[in-house]
Amino acid sequence: MRALIIQQAGIASSVQDGGRAGTLQLGIPPSGAMDPYALMSGQHQLGHLQDEAALEMAYADLIAMPTHDCHIVVTGAPVTLLIDGQNVNPTAAHAVKGGQTLSIKATTTGIYSYLHITGGITTEPVFESRSTSPRESIGGLEGRYLRNGDTLPVGPFQNKASKHNPLLDLPASESTLSLRFVPGFQYDDFLPSSMTALLEADFCVTPSANRMGVKLSGPVLDSGIESLLSEATCYGAIQVPPDGAPIILLNDRQTVGGYPKPGAVISSDCARLAQARPGQRVRFVSCSVEEADRIQWLEHHFVETRLQ
Amino acid sequence: MTCSVGPAGEAAVRLVFKEDPTPDLTRVLLVIQDKAQRQFHGALTDSVVGYTTLTLFFEPLHFQRDRTEAWLFDQANVTQLSTLSDSAPAIRLPVFYHPSVGPDLEWLADDKNLSVDQVIALHCEATYFAYATGFAPGFCYLGTVPAQLMAPRLATPRSRVPAGSVAIADLQTAVYPCESPGGWRLIGRCPQPLFNLNSTPANLLSVGDTVCFDPISETDFYAMGGAI
Repeated sequence: MRALIIQQAGIASSVQDGGRAGTLQLGIPPSGAMDPYALMSGQHQLGHLQDEAALEMAYADLIAMPTHDCHIVVTGAPVTLLIDGQNVNPTAAHAVKGGQTLSIKATTTGIYSYLHITGGITTEPVFESRSTSPRESIGGLEGRYLRNGDTLPVGPFQNKASKHNPLLDLPASESTLSLRFVPGFQYDDFLPSSMTALLEADFCVTPSANRMGVKLSGPVLDSGIESLLSEATCYGAIQVPPDGAPIILLNDRQTVGGYPKPGAVISSDCARLAQARPGQRVRFVSCSVEEADRIQWLEHHFVETRLQ
Repeated sequence: MTCSVGPAGEAAVRLVFKEDPTPDLTRVLLVIQDKAQRQFHGALTDSVVGYTTLTLFFEPLHFQRDRTEAWLFDQANVTQLSTLSDSAPAIRLPVFYHPSVGPDLEWLADDKNLSVDQVIALHCEATYFAYATGFAPGFCYLGTVPAQLMAPRLATPRSRVPAGSVAIADLQTAVYPCESPGGWRLIGRCPQPLFNLNSTPANLLSVGDTVCFDPISETDFYAMGGAI
């Protein structure tokens, strides 16, 4: 069997692809790579055209060994990359021999990095995706984060590696990250003073950040709503629980929720937020829905063009 | 019916009816969801019925907001229920009601000045309607609990609620399909799995179903595969 042996998994490593669709009504989140641009960049560089799964690492601290000759590339948050103890260019694709040891370590910026290996990781798909949803114990390897000693199956070799880097990397984090959002849901129910605070104050990424969402600190927001009937959440939804501290819902979000939401952060800014470390300052910027749709259309068009 | 249509982030639209949830309203939402799946099939990536809402998610490159919102608004105003729509029999779920598996059962009885047997009888005599799914795979929000059993959520949720736990929160009841944190009041345990990836469909309960609970003995609970 072609495989990738995980000698040291790090704190939160999991198998992820582009995520699943059509399962929200079942209560299963889309999951998928927290930085979809980094995922697509690596897939492209290895000639992967079928949304092949990669290994997502949060604050990478991974030691792994492929059992066979292959190509690898690491994308997403910057890392140091060693092959058999030798430092190599961490942003380039490399040919690796079976039995060589890869050591990948996070640097000082970003959170999620992706190790891609030719053929992709081929754990069993669930609802047509290999993405891990750890809370639901679905997808990836036994539906869980990886542990030391795990073995991941790898797909058949396709010698198409070392395409150019499509440069989909997110821009380096600014001192204040703008989160453009589309007002909606219960926006009109919130106290006007809270919506003024949402637009004018700085918020800060807290350590309560994971694949489900990112909690922000800042002025307390008051929805004026006592209880809300459960309804669909969405990627980027600004969820405000009773403590008034907003949580931006991301890939492993609960599919429905009963907390008020004044709007949703646009998806390209969600990916930037996912890579933001605790302490990052953020500011909300209101965006018309027409503008948001146009930005998303252009980004998808740009990505497709880049990947040709 | 009064309704509005608006965004749910990019490439998504949300229909909300401004009225109290009822089984008939949910059935209307299900009919519109079904129509949307046929109308937009390739472009529609996902859809969710909530208590009074329907949210549709689209492929960004194949999404036209104006047309989609107009279509959804029209459907909300023209969709009528067929009188034959509620003929499916209730799904019956066996429950072992006992303090050993329902740590809030005796508290609830005391709080409501009822005996434990009366609590069980009240929970079992109602027919519940499945208003929404989510929270966890297979989790289904069922209503409406008899008013005598209405119980607030725990102030601090339990970090671990065992799979199969039967619970009450406000006027809702549900079975936890898998072990998870949870703040609902636990009154019993259902031995029947609610979610199984190897079955089609994977979930036992869907929005629009009706559900009844049947009390079972400890012996039956184990015989049906229940575990404590």
